[in-house]
Amino acid sequence: MTKLSIGISGYGVAVPRLRIKKDEYAKAWGSFQASGVSEKAVMGFDEDILTFASKVSKRALASVPLEPGKVTRFALASTSAPYVEKVLSGTIVSSIGMPDGAFVSDHTTSSRAGTEALMAGVEHVLANPSGCALVAAADAPKASMWSSLEHGLGAGAAGFVLSHDDLVAEFEGHATYVCEHFGERFRPRDDELIRDLNVKKYAQSSFIGATVKAARSLLEKIGTKQEDYAHVVIQQPDARLPRAIARKLGFTDTHLASSSIAGELGDLGAASTLVGLAAALDAAKMGDRILVISYGSGAASDAMSFKIVGERKADPGLRSEVDRKQYIDYIQYLKLKGAIK
Amino acid sequence: MAHVSVPMYWRTIPQRYRMVGQRCRKCDAVNFPPKGVCKYCNASFEFDEVKLSGKGKVHTFVLIGAGGAPPEFAEQEKAGGMYPVAIVELEEGPKVIGQIADVNPKDVKMDMPVSTELRKVYSEEGVIRYGFKFIPEELSR
Repeated sequence: MTKLSIGISGYGVAVPRLRIKKDEYAKAWGSFQASGVSEKAVMGFDEDILTFASKVSKRALASVPLEPGKVTRFALASTSAPYVEKVLSGTIVSSIGMPDGAFVSDHTTSSRAGTEALMAGVEHVLANPSGCALVAAADAPKASMWSSLEHGLGAGAAGFVLSHDDLVAEFEGHATYVCEHFGERFRPRDDELIRDLNVKKYAQSSFIGATVKAARSLLEKIGTKQEDYAHVVIQQPDARLPRAIARKLGFTDTHLASSSIAGELGDLGAASTLVGLAAALDAAKMGDRILVISYGSGAASDAMSFKIVGERKADPGLRSEVDRKQYIDYIQYLKLKGAIK
Repeated sequence: MAHVSVPMYWRTIPQRYRMVGQRCRKCDAVNFPPKGVCKYCNASFEFDEVKLSGKGKVHTFVLIGAGGAPPEFAEQEKAGGMYPVAIVELEEGPKVIGQIADVNPKDVKMDMPVSTELRKVYSEEGVIRYGFKFIPEELSR
């Protein structure tokens, strides 16, 4: 039996227009705690992860192009959904005009949710040769203004169409590493804001350990080597941690260049690896391989491998979304984040 | 705008989320938002559903600020500042009212091309009311 190839047929990205510079934090708090982040994206008053998921879903479908009526599976990823109980996908399915019989899932409990949703789409298409999955990750994580964890938190979204047809990037395989780890980034059910215990080394050792293990087991599983990859996309809580992981895996800053987004957009939570993947796709050339490595506290990491087989690019590309911006000051930021009640 | 109950708002989801209007079977005019009787020929209540492009141009507009917002938009005005509300002439013909988002209010112009996207309109009873707003055409795609 010949192996049926599946993968990404189209994709789209969106970044909110508002930005805040790290200098604003330095003025307000005396310091800025997110390494390598010089500014970050902020959602406007009338935006949330659902309006962004709707936008990138529409763009991803238009890039193929594919009628919304053809979608048989929708998966949504975010850690900052506006509701804790309610089918979030309903808003997107309804706003896009997807079939009401599509199977839907909401992935919301960690920053790994992006690859969790992407894998749900992959598995659907592998199991249903005529199926077509739409995956959207949108996030704008929230923490207390008193927490240094808050400094890096940004906003952004990406959407992907997965199918058997007309591929841009072929899916080559995945591997996961999961273990029990606690006391890093978390949100108890009655809290609105994420927190950490600010024990940096303890959190980072889990982050580095899990991502390295997932990536190594993927390379072993599918028989690829470091030199086969042109782009490496790693979860970006800041702009520095991914570099430490890349080095441990035998990659250099060059591999990270195309998907380095935290410096201009901040920590995109569950959308981090998917917006990073979109950025890598924007830059990739025919035949390039992309390695994607996510991380979610608690803890798990997914590694996925893609190979570029088509020339199609997102419109607008990530660069034009990043360049379209309007700066706000820290007081405006506090108002938009609902930090002043 | 007066209070809109949750069930009443829910019934308008197709028009608010994805610009579903109606084409009159008698005079062929497009009604948006949907009506009981065709607004153009006043003689028919039979329609076919039609999905509008969401594209149009600013027919006229006003900037709402300095406490001028109705109660459901008061918080938006306080947090985000002055916001533009426009009557937009859609390319299918109807003129509809809506906010223009993602724009510096001072940059709104008559005849400016706009398109629609999903936004939070306001929240009431803990329920977020989503719906279309207009955005400058060059930002859509």
